[in-house]
Amino acid sequence: MTAVERRELPAQQASLVDLLDRLLGVGVVLSGDVTISLAGVDLVTVKLRALITSVREPE
Amino acid sequence: MSEASLTYVYGLTRAAAPLPEEPGVDDRPLRMLRLGALGAVVSDVPAAEFAEDALRGHFEDLGWLERVARRHDAVVQACHRAGVAMPLRLATIYVDDVSAEQRLAEIAADVERTLDRLDGCDEWGVKFFDSPASQSPSAPPEPTPSTSGADYLRRRQAEMMRSGEAAASAAVRADSVYRALAKHAVADTRHRPQDPKLAGRREPMLLNAAFLVRRADTHTFRAAAAELAGHHLEEAIVLTGPWAPYSFAGTTG
Repeated sequence: MTAVERRELPAQQASLVDLLDRLLGVGVVLSGDVTISLAGVDLVTVKLRALITSVREPE
Repeated sequence: MSEASLTYVYGLTRAAAPLPEEPGVDDRPLRMLRLGALGAVVSDVPAAEFAEDALRGHFEDLGWLERVARRHDAVVQACHRAGVAMPLRLATIYVDDVSAEQRLAEIAADVERTLDRLDGCDEWGVKFFDSPASQSPSAPPEPTPSTSGADYLRRRQAEMMRSGEAAASAAVRADSVYRALAKHAVADTRHRPQDPKLAGRREPMLLNAAFLVRRADTHTFRAAAAELAGHHLEEAIVLTGPWAPYSFAGTTG
């Protein structure tokens, strides 16, 4: 590599919240002929409630 | 009697892709459902645990949620590394393989376009946090006993003006970071900033973005992120990745 090679920002470990941002917030829902039809919005609300409750417990 | 099971779909890929050597949720073996040029990576899951009622309860259980989310991600990442994967949402579940295949047939054209768009790309996450100084009030809030109502109102207005300006400047800085990085990405999107309690930092998160970056452009993208971090020494820029392209898997996107 040449001397002008620029430094890269190191990547940090992804947290569970980062993962849930992606797994619950977006992506494709294969709706249609499905027995389990949880609306995306509901899941996010539930998820955040569970997480916030758990994070705030020590208070 | 065998227990009733449902079909859990992790992600969609090309039919020729190898099946990852990962266990599925609850250690169930992965299977590939093939439909023309497309493949769906699936495993059986027990109906008792994954039927709708049970699932609602489980989503309130952080331990369960983390276990399933981590396993889902491990499978999706393995598919992503092996070729191109279109990740699906957590707990995308069908009554059986036949109904999963039927649904896949309905959206096949969209899925093929999406796989073409995602091929050769990784997702990178960028979070931008305000400076710790933004959290310490600059003016002493103690009112003096001699303060008149008019003085108080004037001071209060000035305070609100300052905090309004600070919020506006934070939004401008977040936008500039977002736009600078988007130049090196083929697609970009913003997630909602995380609650400070969830993010584990006192400073507010100004930006929670995701970028779809060609693998050939990885170095350029990360170097641009490092350069921005150098320009924003007061604030913090946090990079995560490479992710499977979760934030860009929408068939309409």
